Amino acid sequence: MNSQTWLLLLEGAWTTVWISAVSIAIGVVLGLGIALVRMLRIPFVDQLLVLYVSIARATPLVTLVLFIFLVAPTFGIVMNRNLAAILALTLNTAAFNAEIWRGAFLSFSKEQREAAMACGMTPWLCFRRIMLPQMITVSLPGLVNEMSFLIKGSPAIAVIGIVDLTRVTNRISAVTYEPLPPILAAALLYMVVIYALIQLQALAEWRAHRLAV
Amino acid sequence: MENWQIVWEARDSLISGLFTTIEIFLIGSVLAFLLGCLVVYLLEQAGPWLRRALRVAIDLMRTLPFLIFAYLLYYGLPSLGVRLDAWTAGLIALVIYHGAYFAEMLRGARLVMPAGGVEAARACGFHGFTLFRRILLPQLLIRVRPLIGNQLIYCLKDTAFLTIITVNELTAAANSIQAIYFIPMEAFVAVIGLYWMVSIVIELLVKWAGRFGRKRGFDHV
Amino acid sequence: MSEVPVVSLEGVSKSFNGVEVLRDIHLEVARGEVVSVLGASGSGKSTMLRCINWLEQPDRGTVKINGEHIGVDAQGKQMSVRALASLRARTGMVFQSFNLWPHLTVLQNVIEAPVHVKRIPRSRAVEEALALLDKVGMGHKRDAYPYTLSGGQKQRVAIARALAMAPEVLLFDEPTSALDPELVGEVLAVMRALSLDGYTMVVVTHEMEFARAVSDQVVFLDKGKLIERAPPERFFTAPESERVQRFLATHR
Repeated sequence: MNSQTWLLLLEGAWTTVWISAVSIAIGVVLGLGIALVRMLRIPFVDQLLVLYVSIARATPLVTLVLFIFLVAPTFGIVMNRNLAAILALTLNTAAFNAEIWRGAFLSFSKEQREAAMACGMTPWLCFRRIMLPQMITVSLPGLVNEMSFLIKGSPAIAVIGIVDLTRVTNRISAVTYEPLPPILAAALLYMVVIYALIQLQALAEWRAHRLAV
Repeated sequence: MENWQIVWEARDSLISGLFTTIEIFLIGSVLAFLLGCLVVYLLEQAGPWLRRALRVAIDLMRTLPFLIFAYLLYYGLPSLGVRLDAWTAGLIALVIYHGAYFAEMLRGARLVMPAGGVEAARACGFHGFTLFRRILLPQLLIRVRPLIGNQLIYCLKDTAFLTIITVNELTAAANSIQAIYFIPMEAFVAVIGLYWMVSIVIELLVKWAGRFGRKRGFDHV
Repeated sequence: MSEVPVVSLEGVSKSFNGVEVLRDIHLEVARGEVVSVLGASGSGKSTMLRCINWLEQPDRGTVKINGEHIGVDAQGKQMSVRALASLRARTGMVFQSFNLWPHLTVLQNVIEAPVHVKRIPRSRAVEEALALLDKVGMGHKRDAYPYTLSGGQKQRVAIARALAMAPEVLLFDEPTSALDPELVGEVLAVMRALSLDGYTMVVVTHEMEFARAVSDQVVFLDKGKLIERAPPERFFTAPESERVQRFLATHR
């Protein structure tokens, strides 16, 4: 493999990384939003969100990406590929993140909330200063785990023609007629990124564990 | 409503896609599960070198996207003179990839299992495969049961990646229907509904299997 | 033939990470004999017991069951896993933490090893297991799962499980230490009955009364050394070593 093909690979890697990063950022916040709305137990909205989480968990990313990319034009929405990819990855990861946030929310002890109220905190202040910091620590290992799953699922965006780190190997081998080296190189790049996330998860677990004792 | 009519008329291609998805998922996940059990047994028995090699292989799979592994088998192996058709390459990829995840799951359960039960078994003269099959494995399975459902659903979802290496499974069927009749909405809603139904069946079966553990006081795990 | 001891340890030594936990232990247990092993915690008594069925491997010395080498043969060669397992099947062990198999019922716990290690026909194993469960007073719980039982009940099932292998020697590793005080009696009663039936037993324990009333021999370990061996009447009234005198003074 020459420097030209490496450059192409890195371009593919960059596409994978930025699309994943944007989706993760939106997905984490959206997940928290969904979890909070579910905590309010608004009739109908609650059932709707349960349905969303259940369907999103069961829908393959490839299918979801195709669905969003192909259906949008029928509603007259012009959808560029990157936007469709981000939307699909976000909708998928937000469902998992919502469950993680909700778990942290449910495990929060009533005593702490009462202690905060007894100090004269308003519910909003209590949420912001007492609950949220702890929820972040507790959720972080799960969230980071979900991030590595998102990256492992990100090759799905190749199906609508985005040249990500997986798809780029086809491009390269179409020229070199040697598919094995670029695939192995791409695999190596994935491993570096996901291995880093797994290490980060271990660190987050250590911190969450410290909170628990 | 007309569009749904079209989907209904094209049902044969959806059903055959669904059949391929379920077939590859069932064979793949059962074999992957057995592979996971085998790997954990080897981790229990093998010498330090094989153990290290297996650990590395598991971690390798855990840091790879499923699709790139399927690419490796389908597009990469022919360079080494091994030519597989898409279905076979997809199945093998599914078995090895998810086998590693099952193995990791069981290994995790093994690590937190109290040592006493195994010790008592050794004191009774158990060893080797009988010890694994009769004493260890049943307890490991009860402990990982809540995680198995999730893993199976990941496995089901990963079968959709195989559409990219040209396996004619359920997502490929939706894509071809929408391309012919230009009804993406209906075609994909139908297919997503089918995936959803299969995943619900998986979850119900896994929940049902949980009663073995509940009867034995494993409610808390 | 009856002169061959059921258990014999000759010059057994063992260390963990440079700390010597057993130093040159010699012990023989004759058929039908009940030997209680006393000593402060950390004196190596559990390790010694676990060397008898090779759950712990001694660094030096030989261990024999009924005159047969266990673990390493006479030439010092490591035994095959299979040979070791079949020798272990001739001993029965009862643990401090019971170690019942949680996925099996009481009856299944008792017949598991006879059926799958000794390959006894299931129907016969069940018949024998029921008799043993009756003997330890647990026949009525045959279909219960371990998590539903009290500690004392678990330990009685564990004893039945050990008996089911028709062992030549029963090894007890502090069988009552994990029990609530009011449950200790029921387990000791079962053990006393076994001694009257003529079982060969090695019992690591803190129960002085039991050691005095039931055992034929009492041995005392201190810092990995076996420093006293005597019949209970002499051990408890006129011990030779000053260490044992101090031990008895504080454990009355």
